[in-house]
Amino acid sequence: MKRKTTRHALLYAGVVLTCAILVFPIYWLVVTALSEPSLLRQLPPSFWPSEPRWGVFGQIMAEKPILLWLGNSALAAIGAVSLSMVVSVLAGYSLSRFRVRGGQSLGLFILTAKMLPATLLVIPLFGIFRNLELIGSLWSIILAHATLIIPFTTWMLKGYFDTIPRELEHAAMVDGCSPLGAMVRVILPVSAPGLAATALYGFVLSWSDYAYARTFLTNAQGNWTANLGITTMKGEYISNWSDISAASILVALPILAIYLVLERYLVGGLTAGAEK
Amino acid sequence: MAGIRIDSVTKSYGGLTVLKAFSLDIADGEFVVLVGPSGCGKSTMLKILAGLEEASSGTIAIGERDVTDLAPGDRDIAMVFQNYALYPHLTVARNMGFGLKMRGTDAAEIDRRVNEAAKILGIGHLLERRPRALSGGQRQRVALGRAIVREPQAFLMDEPLSNLDAKLRVHTRAEISALHKRLRVTTIYVTHDQTEAMTMADRIVIMKDGVIQQIASPDVMFREPANLFVAGFIGSPGMNFLKTKAQAVGGGVTAKLFGHDVKLPIANAAALAGREIVVGLRPEHIAAGAGQVSFTVTPRLIESLGSEQYVYVDLPEEHRRDAGSGGEDESRRTSLIARLINPEPRPPEATLTLSFDPARLHVFDAASGEAIR
Repeated sequence: MKRKTTRHALLYAGVVLTCAILVFPIYWLVVTALSEPSLLRQLPPSFWPSEPRWGVFGQIMAEKPILLWLGNSALAAIGAVSLSMVVSVLAGYSLSRFRVRGGQSLGLFILTAKMLPATLLVIPLFGIFRNLELIGSLWSIILAHATLIIPFTTWMLKGYFDTIPRELEHAAMVDGCSPLGAMVRVILPVSAPGLAATALYGFVLSWSDYAYARTFLTNAQGNWTANLGITTMKGEYISNWSDISAASILVALPILAIYLVLERYLVGGLTAGAEK
Repeated sequence: MAGIRIDSVTKSYGGLTVLKAFSLDIADGEFVVLVGPSGCGKSTMLKILAGLEEASSGTIAIGERDVTDLAPGDRDIAMVFQNYALYPHLTVARNMGFGLKMRGTDAAEIDRRVNEAAKILGIGHLLERRPRALSGGQRQRVALGRAIVREPQAFLMDEPLSNLDAKLRVHTRAEISALHKRLRVTTIYVTHDQTEAMTMADRIVIMKDGVIQQIASPDVMFREPANLFVAGFIGSPGMNFLKTKAQAVGGGVTAKLFGHDVKLPIANAAALAGREIVVGLRPEHIAAGAGQVSFTVTPRLIESLGSEQYVYVDLPEEHRRDAGSGGEDESRRTSLIARLINPEPRPPEATLTLSFDPARLHVFDAASGEAIR
């Protein structure tokens, strides 16, 4: 009995410690944003500002084109995710359902693209986009992000489609659907949790990109994404970390909101009842 | 409704042929059951019939229409799947109406037909539920309902009862039979369960390794099995097989069974003399007590089911077939089972006299396994 209690206590201590390690940077971001810049370097540090600067968010939005940056980030992420989903749904479904010669090798080849670091592709992509006259355009990062998102989402979706019984398509085809119709009318609605998780993954990947935006969009201020915009707030000699933290919180909020909306899909379980 | 003609359909995957020259004429309104062990090609044939798999060669006609190259949706058939395959994101009503919607039927007509089918199957109260909120039996009814509302030329059923528990299976089996009598839609039903085949079919097609072994009504298949495989597959418990040699005596032919010279019920006896044969005897054709051919045994095991007893007896060495000759397990090769109806209670170790009527014997060629009549 005593041994069991000790084990539980250790387990809970472990959980609390892990949570603390994960949550602390977010907490510290909030503390930094709400503190007077002059008080940030005091020792011992203050764990909660005595007079929180709640007005900092409004002030930042007035001083910097945060909304424009957020809009550009959203456009880029929505574009990249839309493009990626169209490609990876079709590719993942094909890999899951059709046995063709070399299909497995092709699937692995797609996955190896994911293994390449994103920075490796920056220079070749820059060359391609310059030839296509896309440098400075949001299209450049939409396409660049799609090259990162598609390999992984294709495999995620293939795995998800593998779990859906083939009889569902067979039933739809006997009911009068074409193979594509069966996918659109039956398989995709049933795959909603998988699609949501995959889209969210792509969105986060695109939203958090800095390297591509920095390379392709630096000279087009009107197309700056939020991450690129925030880095311009860092001065050469003086950086206002409070303002930068406040801006970072504003940039993180949309992702948080999307997580909350999609949470019920991410839990999954929609296919229960399809079969025995 | 329409008849179905399957002509020399073959299916190969690379070098592996899973269906060999399958031909079958099914009459309008007939209930045909494809039965056989796992891997015999019965489900593959059904999928080819539905258009879900392509035949390597051969043709299929439904009614007067050649449907060999038509898409599943254009064949005007409905299918019930083993795992039901209900659309989990749609309500029962929309599941049932999906096929009609795909065919552009107007909403009022869909409603009417869904309600009618729901009434037939007693699932009217479930129409607004999703599949996940249904029990196994209810899902099975919805799957049947989805097939019925389409009013198709034929129903294809792929082991639709195998996911139900034993009691519900018997109940649903009777319901499907009743439904067929009411609607008279041509039905092709696939199962590995010989009881389902015997109780439901107008005709049974028994298959092994992609080849049809026999096509016959349940009674004919039981009384006149075409070969050892059919004889062993149909009937429960399966037929007893005894290896022996045929001997010509006068105008007839006899075989030594349990020490007796037993006259075999064969019309063409002349060609048989001296050949190795396998004699088949159904467990229910063995009676307790003396009879036309009697023999005394010490049972190895007696299983009592109340109204009947299964008596297991070691088969004499000379009657045992070679190992692996029939594909069944070792105990069937070395035992004889007698099924005694309304038996008297008896201790298992006591000796027992059993008997049989030689007219009930089945005779098979030992080499080819084909029946000899």
